[in-house]
Amino acid sequence: MIRTIVGLVIVLALSAIVISSVSDYSVPSELIGAGLNYTEQGVDDTGSVNLVTAVVVAYRGLDTLGEVVVLFSASTAVVLILTLIPIGANPTPPSSIVAFTAGILPGAIVLFGIYVITHGHLSPGGGFPGGAVVASAFLLVMLGSNTIPGKTKFLTSIESLAGLTFGLLGFWGMLTLGQFLNNLVLPAGSPGRILSAGIIPLISLAIGAKVASELSGVFASYRKAGGEE
Amino acid sequence: MNMTLLAAASMGTGIMMLVAAVAALVVKKLISAIIIVGFVSLSASVLFLLMDAPDVAITEASIGAAISTVIFLWGRGKIGGQE
Repeated sequence: MIRTIVGLVIVLALSAIVISSVSDYSVPSELIGAGLNYTEQGVDDTGSVNLVTAVVVAYRGLDTLGEVVVLFSASTAVVLILTLIPIGANPTPPSSIVAFTAGILPGAIVLFGIYVITHGHLSPGGGFPGGAVVASAFLLVMLGSNTIPGKTKFLTSIESLAGLTFGLLGFWGMLTLGQFLNNLVLPAGSPGRILSAGIIPLISLAIGAKVASELSGVFASYRKAGGEE
Repeated sequence: MNMTLLAAASMGTGIMMLVAAVAALVVKKLISAIIIVGFVSLSASVLFLLMDAPDVAITEASIGAAISTVIFLWGRGKIGGQE
C-alpha cells in the first residue's frame, strides 16, 4: 500500500513537471519548417503518396537503419540470455478456443501483414508495422500448439539477408548518386502505383522481413527455453 | 459537429486509458493486470487512429496490444503464477 502511494506521488510529481514545462507551448496554426517542406515537396521528391513512409524511409532513412540495428541488438541479447539461462517452466496447453482460432486466423493475418508491408508507400503502414503483424501471426500459431518449435535457423538467415539488403540498397545510392540511401536510384514513377517511389518498396520489404523473422525468432527461443511439455 | 464528436471520442478513450492504467496498478491478480495493460495499449491504438495516425496505430495494436501482452503472459507462466 505504501509502495503504491509513493509510486503514485512520484508519477504525479513527474506529470506536474512535464505539464509545467509544456504549458506555454502552443501548436502553430500552420505548418512550418521541415513539416511544410515535407508536405509540399514530399510526393515530388520521393514519389510516395504516404508521407509518413516518405519521411521514415526516404528523408530519415538513416534513422530507420539505426532503429533496425537497435532491434537487432535487443533481440540478440534476449535470445542469448534465453540460451544461457533456460528458465524452465512448462508451457500450458492451449484452451480449445485459442487452438481453434490459431487454426484459422494466422493465414489472414499474414496476408494483411504482407499487404501492410508492400503498400507502405500507398496506404498507412510500412515495413515495421507489417513485420510486427506477420510476427503476431506466428505468435498465434505458437500459442495454438503446445509443442516446442523445431528448426529456427532459417529465421536467422532471412534476418541477415534482409539486413544485408537494406545496407546494400543504401550503398547503391552512394555508388550511383553519391548519397547513402538515396531513394531515387530507381525511378520515382507515377505516385499511387504499386511500383513507384524509388527504393521505398524494396526497403519496406527488407525491414518487414527483418522485423518479422527477428520477433518470430525471439518467440521461438522463448518457447524453446520453456522446455518440454 | 463532426469535430466535436471526434474530440469527445478521443476524450472518452483517453479517460478510459487513465482509469485502466490506474486499475492495472491496484488489481491484486497479476493476470488481470496484464490483460488491463493490454487494454491500455489497445485504447492507445484507437486514440492514435482518432488523431489521424493510422501508421502508429497499426504498430501499437500489433506490438503493444498483441505481442507484449503475450510476452507478459509467458513471463507470468515462467514465474509460476505467483500473485
